[in-house]
Formats: sequence, C-alpha cells, structure tokens
Amino acid sequence: MSTRSDNSVTIKSDPAIECRQLNYTHGGFRLKDIELSIPSGQLTAIVGPNGSGKSTLLRILAGLAAQESGEVRILGEELHKFPRRKLARTLAMLPQSKHVPENLTVRELVAYGRSPYQSPWNYSASTEDHQWIDHALQLTGTAGYADRMFHTLSGGEQQKARIAMTLAQNTDILLLDEPTTFLDITHQFDVMNMLAAINRETGITIVMVLHDLPQAVAFSHHMVALRRGSVVAAGSPRGLLDDVFLQKVYDLEASVSYVENYPVIIPKTYYKLEERNMIIVNNTSQIKKGQASLLINRFDKVGKVEEMEGFLGLEVLLNEKPAEYDEVTISTRWVSKEAFQGWTRSDAFRESHSHRETPEYILSNTISFHEVKIVRNPISA
Amino acid sequence: MNKQQRNTRRTLACILAPILLLLACLYGLTYGSVSISPVEVWSILLGDRPETSSLIIMDLRLPRVLIGLLVGACLAVSGALLQGVMSNPLADPGIIGVSAGGGLAAVIAMVVLPQYSYLLPAGAFLGSFLAAIMIYLLAWDSGASPMKIVLAGVAINALLGAAMNGFMVVFSDRVQAVLPWLSGGLSGRSWHHLGFAAPYALIGLVLSLLAIKPANLLLLGDDSARLLGLRAEVSRFLIILLAALLAGTAVSVAGLVGFVGLVVPHAVRLLIGGDYRFLLPVSMLGGGALVVFTDTAARTWFDPVELPVGILLAGVGAPFFLYLLRRRRLTS
Repeated sequence: MSTRSDNSVTIKSDPAIECRQLNYTHGGFRLKDIELSIPSGQLTAIVGPNGSGKSTLLRILAGLAAQESGEVRILGEELHKFPRRKLARTLAMLPQSKHVPENLTVRELVAYGRSPYQSPWNYSASTEDHQWIDHALQLTGTAGYADRMFHTLSGGEQQKARIAMTLAQNTDILLLDEPTTFLDITHQFDVMNMLAAINRETGITIVMVLHDLPQAVAFSHHMVALRRGSVVAAGSPRGLLDDVFLQKVYDLEASVSYVENYPVIIPKTYYKLEERNMIIVNNTSQIKKGQASLLINRFDKVGKVEEMEGFLGLEVLLNEKPAEYDEVTISTRWVSKEAFQGWTRSDAFRESHSHRETPEYILSNTISFHEVKIVRNPISA
Repeated sequence: MNKQQRNTRRTLACILAPILLLLACLYGLTYGSVSISPVEVWSILLGDRPETSSLIIMDLRLPRVLIGLLVGACLAVSGALLQGVMSNPLADPGIIGVSAGGGLAAVIAMVVLPQYSYLLPAGAFLGSFLAAIMIYLLAWDSGASPMKIVLAGVAINALLGAAMNGFMVVFSDRVQAVLPWLSGGLSGRSWHHLGFAAPYALIGLVLSLLAIKPANLLLLGDDSARLLGLRAEVSRFLIILLAALLAGTAVSVAGLVGFVGLVVPHAVRLLIGGDYRFLLPVSMLGGGALVVFTDTAARTWFDPVELPVGILLAGVGAPFFLYLLRRRRLTS
C-alpha cells in the first residue's frame, strides 16, 4: 500500500485535475468556459444552487460525459486519452445512483472495486486484491459487517460500504456526488469525518459535490462555487463564505457566523419575520339559526383578497353554540394596518360591498382589529 | 437471505442442477411408447445389443434428448443475459420478439432457400439479432427503461408474427414443411438437426461464460460499470449479440418455444440470487433439464397424441409470468 505515498511528493505540486475552457451543452442545460484546478491530496468541495451544473461537471471529470470543447487533464494527462480501465485505476467515483444488486455481501460489493485490475475471465480475487479489499473495509470502518448482506445495512452503513468499493480501486483521485444526501444528520457527519480521515491518512485527492454549505466549508480545504454553469468563485472555503458570496451564488440574503469554529448561515428573512407585527381583522356576524351557510357561500364568491399586497391568510370560523343564533367570523391577517386599508379601498372590495344591501339573515355585525406580535413559527407571506 | 443461507443454496443448486439434468435425460431415454429400462439404455449407449430398442434409443430418443438439452440451455442462458443487460426481469427472447425475429428469418429461409438447411441457424441468429437491436433502439431514451423494453418488445413481437403469417399466406403452397416446425416442438428431430445446430449452440454457450463478468458489472448500472473500467455500451451490445445467437439457434431447431428463458433464470435467481457466476451455469443446466423433461412429458402423457413441447411450456410459463408481474407490483 505504498504506491500513493511514493508519488505524493512529486504529484503534490501539480493540480490533480485541471479544466481549460470547458464547454458542454445538453438539452437546455450548459456549462460555460469552466476553468478549474483541483489541488492534489486535498479535499475539494463543489457547491452551488440546484441546476448549477455541479453533478454534470463531476460526470465530465469522471469521463461519464464528454465535453464539447476545452480540455480536462487528470494528473497532467488528457482525460480523453485514458483507456477506460486505466482511468478506473486512476480515478474512482461514487455516483448519485444508489443502485446495488440484491444478495451481495459488503465484502462482495467492495470486491467489485478490484475489477479494473482483473481480467474478464478471472472470477476469484488475487492476494493483492484481498489486501486492498481489507484495506478499504478498514479505512471505512465497515470491516465489522463485511459478511452481512448489503441490503440489511442502515443508510449510513450502506454509504460507507459504497465508498469502500471506490477505495478498493486504489486510485489517486476520488469523486463523490452528494455523499451525504438522504442520510440522517449523525450519519452525515460520520461520513464527512470518515472522508476527512481517509484524506489525511492516504493523501488521496477527494472532490465532492455537496449540498450542505456549512459542511462543505467545515470539511474541505478548497471550494469551487458554480452558478448557472459557470465557476463564480474558487478558493479557501472560509475566505469565500460571507454574505456577499451567498448573495452572488445563491441569491440568498443571509449572514454568516461561526459557532465553535463551525459555520452557521442565518437567513435575513428568518429574523425579520421574527420581529414582525401582524394585524388580525375579525368580522363577526350573527346569523339566523341554520342559515350560516348562506353567508359563507356569499363570501366564497368574492375571493379577490388573496391577491392583495400584504395579505397573510384567512380563516372562516363558524360557531353554532349560542341557542338563538349562529356566529360566523371571517378572520383575515395582514402584515400592517396600511395593507388592510389598501384592501378596503380596492375595487374588488367595493364591488363586493357597496352595491349590496345587508341580507335579512344577518342579525348584527361587528368588526374588531387586533395588532399582535409574532412570537413563534413565522408565517410565510 | 443471509450469507450462510445463500451459500448453502448455491452449493445445493450446483449439486442438484446436474443431477436433475441427468434424471431428465434418463426419463427422456427410458419413457415412450416402448419402455426401456435404464440398465438397457446404459448397455445400448455403450454399444451393445443391436436390436429394435437400440434403434429407438440411438435414432429417435438420444438425438431428441440432446437437442432438447441444447435448446433448453440456449434459451435459459439467452433469457438470463437479456434480463441482465436490458435491466428488465421480464425480458425473455420469446416475449420481447427476439425469437420471433429468428422465426421470421427461418420461415423465409425455409420457404425461399429450402436446400440450404445448414444456414438456418445463421439466418435465425441474424433475425433474432436484428429484432433485439430494434427493440433496444425503440426503447432507448437516454437509458432504456424496463417498461419501455417490454412494450417495444411486445409490439415488435406482434409485428414479426404478422409478417410471418403474411409470408406463409403468400407462399401457402410451400409452407407445408414449415408448419410442424413453427408450433415449437422437437417431434421428428434427428441427428441431422443436431448436426447443424450444435456448433452454434456450443459456441454460444462457451462464449456466454465469458460474459459473466461484464454481465455482473452491468448489474451495478451503466455509470458504475463504466467507472469500474468496463466499456458498458460495447459490452451490452456484444451480450445482446450473444443472446440473439443463442435464441436464434434454439429457434432454428425447435421453432418458437417460449417461456424457458423467463421461467428458468427467474426460478434460479429466486433461489440463489443474481450473481452470474452461479446464475448462468445453473440456468444452463436447469434449462436443459426443463426442456428435456417437458418434451418427454409432452410426448408420453397424452398418448397417442403428441403435444408440441412449446404448448406445454406455455401452459407452465404463462401463469408464472403473471405471478412475476404481480409480485413485482406488490414489492415496488
């Protein structure tokens, strides 16, 4: 197991992966003039919003998709000149697809990682194969359940077993497409800590697409941000992550702080709403016993209020408790008094109120205003 | 199923499959309008006793058992391979039109060029292969979905069936020789038929052992297979070619025999899992055993009528197919 450490001194200085003027189009989707340099022996995170091209870029780096123009170099050699098997000994990847055939033990799955080193008619693993399989099981902490069936494992254990398979390939580079998605938070940190430890111990170059930005910043040495198919930022994760970055890459208004050296992202909309006041307008009518539905039906025909600026929500409450009448309360919520006044001055409001006489089934009617402060769960407008 | 259970089942299957095949062959050799005891059969096979029973064994039953064995092995392996590379558990050369392609080509060959019977397997292979490629292209939409393959296959199957019938109507004067062949049976098959089909069948079956590793890798999905150094598209193409060769060979000698390619690999997969290192050889032996056994049953159970083996197999296979559909819906 010494091959990688022997080379590491010479490789370290050059980037493990380089892209020059990379262009790619598929359907309505494209990557544009990608310039990329992935440092050797380090953990690189690729981040960006949904549809920004992270996974596509990873697929191109792994030779699963071909670029239209530009070049990709793996350890200094052009990617398209690699034969498949040689590439599989140089670069491994954990794809997003979670498909694993049934009735495989963990060890048998990991053994698949040795395929690039075996001839097509060789059905049993060599001594060297077994050494690498053991090594991969050990690195991922999966040796304890190597003989269990893959499908009986928990999601986190399964993910580690899949990663063990890629490690058995004994490559210089490992790409991972969203290794923590769909895992619970304990297993997410478990997998991230494991990858960091493997990188430290073996010096393998790791490139991962991550959705969780704090995780990306906390665990990687280098970060690349994509937006709409272009690289918009690259560099040290902690140097990059600030409110300007979040605005530029994600269109997100938020601030960044660190708690015990771990990044925390707090969206502006969250604390704004937290301090917001709200107006509740209750329009309560007392109705002849049994005729409440007439008023409710009438109200259903108005309906324009949902489109008003500053409208937060509406409830129709029916109280049938009193003996002599039914009580219907139309309760609307508004961001401010002005917003409610805007509604009373609107054409839609006038249309629904001015031309009508008060129906005879309404006995009395009161309107009350409440100005309240939101103290819990913010209501989204 | 845990590891011990699975390995026990694998061992059992590897022991039982050859035994079953031997028993089926013995059944096929001993039973019939004239019963011949296993001891007699043995001495006849060793070359003793030149009597009428020897004629029955050597000229009638032995070639028929051997042909049944090859046909069953070819169909089962063809089905096992197609199910893997088309990632569709319902792929069977008979259901998705691969056999029908071979059938059409064979009918054309028999009607137009009756004197070149030794080219029949090659023609059937070509027809099967073209049908397989057509299905694959029709179902392809950045990856071939299992449902689309079955739908395209059923359509192709109907189209080829119609073409076959149309052809037979147009050349109705020459079609007499084709009819018994078409119903899918081994009746009247002799050394002559074995002679022209065996080379193709043996080549196909030996090559199928080389397909084990790529077929296993393709089970991981195209991306993973490519990442492990396999040229996935090329491998899939070659395996489809091989499956078509096997199905075409079976069609050329036994006509349209369905459901072997579906039932056998599935039953084996349920028992011992989908690893091709075990699935393929056990299916090969199991397919041979099933066809030899069913053919003997079709020949003797309804005496004096002899059913084509295809009819009996469809009687077993169709309910099994429905069971699979139902089971899949329940599990998914």
